[in-house]
Amino acid sequence: MATIADVRREPAEPIRFDLLAWLSTTDHKAIGVLYLTASGLFFLLAGLMAEVMRLELAQPGMELVSESAYNQLFTMHGTLMLLLFATPAGIGFANYLVPLQIGAADMAFPRLNALSFWMFLFGGITSLLGFASQSGAAATGWTVYAPLSENPFSPGPGMDLWIAGIGLTGLSSVIGAVNLVTTIYGRRAPGMTMLRVPIFTWNILVTAVMILFAFPPLTAALALLFIDRHFGGAFFNPALGGSPILFQHLFWFFGHPEVYIIVLPAFGIVSEVFPVFSSKPLFGYKAVIFATSAIAGLSMSVWAHHMFTTGAVNLPFFSIMSFLIAVPTGIKIFNWTATMWGGRLRFTTAMLFAIGLLYVFTIGGITGVMVASPPLDFQFQDTYFVVAHFHNVIIGGTVFGIFSGLFFWFPKMSGRRLDERLGRIAWACWIVGFTLTFIPQYVLGAEGMPRRIADYDPATGWGSLNLLSTAGAILLGLGTIPIVVAVVAALRRPPDAGPDPWEGNSLEWATSSPPPHHNFVSLPPIRSERPVFDERMRRQGIDPNTPGGGVG
Amino acid sequence: MRARALRLAALVGLGLLAGGCLPEAATSQGRATNGLWAWFIALSILVGAVVWTLVTLAIVRRRREPGLPRQIHGDIRIEIIWTTIPIVIVIGLFAGTLGTLNVIDARSPEAGVDVIVTAFRWQWRFDYPRESISVVGTPEQPPELVVPVDQPVHIALTAPAGDVDHAFFVPQFLFKRDAIPGRTSTFDFTVEEPGTYRGQCAEFCGTYHAQMLFSVRAVSAADYQAWLASQQAAGSALPIGTPPPVGPGGSTVPSNLPSVAPPSGGQP
Repeated sequence: MATIADVRREPAEPIRFDLLAWLSTTDHKAIGVLYLTASGLFFLLAGLMAEVMRLELAQPGMELVSESAYNQLFTMHGTLMLLLFATPAGIGFANYLVPLQIGAADMAFPRLNALSFWMFLFGGITSLLGFASQSGAAATGWTVYAPLSENPFSPGPGMDLWIAGIGLTGLSSVIGAVNLVTTIYGRRAPGMTMLRVPIFTWNILVTAVMILFAFPPLTAALALLFIDRHFGGAFFNPALGGSPILFQHLFWFFGHPEVYIIVLPAFGIVSEVFPVFSSKPLFGYKAVIFATSAIAGLSMSVWAHHMFTTGAVNLPFFSIMSFLIAVPTGIKIFNWTATMWGGRLRFTTAMLFAIGLLYVFTIGGITGVMVASPPLDFQFQDTYFVVAHFHNVIIGGTVFGIFSGLFFWFPKMSGRRLDERLGRIAWACWIVGFTLTFIPQYVLGAEGMPRRIADYDPATGWGSLNLLSTAGAILLGLGTIPIVVAVVAALRRPPDAGPDPWEGNSLEWATSSPPPHHNFVSLPPIRSERPVFDERMRRQGIDPNTPGGGVG
Repeated sequence: MRARALRLAALVGLGLLAGGCLPEAATSQGRATNGLWAWFIALSILVGAVVWTLVTLAIVRRRREPGLPRQIHGDIRIEIIWTTIPIVIVIGLFAGTLGTLNVIDARSPEAGVDVIVTAFRWQWRFDYPRESISVVGTPEQPPELVVPVDQPVHIALTAPAGDVDHAFFVPQFLFKRDAIPGRTSTFDFTVEEPGTYRGQCAEFCGTYHAQMLFSVRAVSAADYQAWLASQQAAGSALPIGTPPPVGPGGSTVPSNLPSVAPPSGGQP
């Protein structure tokens, strides 16, 4: 490939703040860092909103914020966490790592890449601007169900800013996905067949394809909603023959694949972390690719399990499809466990978060099977059980995966390791904090506490479990501080990582940290999905396929 | 030692999950759900315990000697096993789900009691068309849906076309159903235990969603007849065929709270 012949030797530059360079960059690594930084800031902001909500719910009768402010908070918390943190954080890792992992110099369309970042950033800011208006931000829940999101019920500019902002970030995701798919198909280095593509990049390929299917229906729903609100449309207005159910179909046809769009990159991350810190190959590389693709396929046919209680969807069909999607997810958990089995484990922070994912995500997977059963969902839908379930999946899956990826690849991105001691403190806080926050919420939901309420009757007896949950949420907040401190402290230190701090497997570890502008000076031969591992073995004169465990 | 501690933690965690047991249902339909839940909890604990044990064992029995572990790339037999077992489990759970769903969805041929439930921002209205009784709550006094025990109650649930989505939810019935503007949804329940059961709107419907409360009071057949008579005497009777409220009025906003712009019945 011409791109590899072209590369020039450039020194790894120290991290310097050059505003113009950051604003004008088309380098996939800089754009990846921008994505991760922006989504990280949205994460911190959304986390603060969660803390305010948990304080409001700590006891019945709290009046920390008004009902209307509370409704804006949970709407924007969900919007920020799902659409402005989890989705773009995955895209951020993808931007940084995909060209490196496949041995390319950059993305297929570098300028389009920059465009998609800036559309995402300004879309996100636009959706938040409602807070500056007199009637506040959108207050319909992140699901913006019509007719509640229609003009008579949500008249302020907050809702319009939400529609415009999220429409923009959705479009940015589609552009980003086109870029990623093209890059992975067209920019692989010689020797890198599809079945030698690193598993993280495989997960990103599947995620990007899902984005191409899932986001256009959201864009359509938002456009129809905007027409209803401003141009006299009646798509979702039952008084004029429109259908509120139609909105739910359009929203969830996006909304359920979205769940996998945010979790597959995290699965990709831990699928890289387990092999490296177990000194073993990923168990069942092809099976994991197959399971990932199966998740993508099935995820397109489960959306109406969010609508079981409408009485307007086919319950058995959407139930069995939702049950079945647990199978490929379970396969992955078994594959990761088998990867660790008999391995020489190194308990770095990256590995600890990956192991935490195994324990915590499993509970979320199991409770997901419960809500796939319509009779049980008739109790759990729109209660704290569902809230606990999806936080279990998103924190235990996506957030733990992203933290794992941060500790794993930060040395590559900056040339500096993150402090492992701070990492372990954060990990302990997140494991304990997660349990304290969300296990009580499962119980509250089973007892019937609805979500999206700012207050509850003391006679319900929900006070003590809510207090426990709030204590856990505070621990989660405190546990975030060591991560921020570790990042800031690392950036103030001189580089210490070297090109391959963890003895990695894939091509990003074959270049300097951070990599030069066009990524590679030379590439090792690519004969498996672990070219850097193969090269290390060759240099050490070890034949890794020796029966009985290599050289002891 | 550490393995045992971790396994204990696993059991405690899943025990907590099981402790979040559903309330004992007050309706015959809900009792079917209780039965299904027992299966789900048992299998969940089993699956969770197996996965956590395997993960814990992988950590405990890791290779401690220096040098490269055996490079195992996969094993098709074991992969087929751990694909097949989950498929069998979920198909079993699906079969149980279908059986329970048939009980919950069944419509009783008995006459029982008919009630039209109308949900609107932020109040409930219960119309008994056969008895010409109508009950509407006030912000201070949430409405009560009075029903006889051991008789099927046929609910027709709706929301006015100019309103938003709501949901009828009684936790101790283990049941909710959405009230969607312009649609009518029908379901039955038969209360087996006399008592008063808390209910509330479960689909977010705007500012005062949390205050959209009601309750269901299940009484003996004799008490039910007495209640009907007292209601009719009190003059809450409406001519048959009176339409449900077309749109929410400002009066349903709790009086101690600032009034929000009341949406009109129609849309632009």
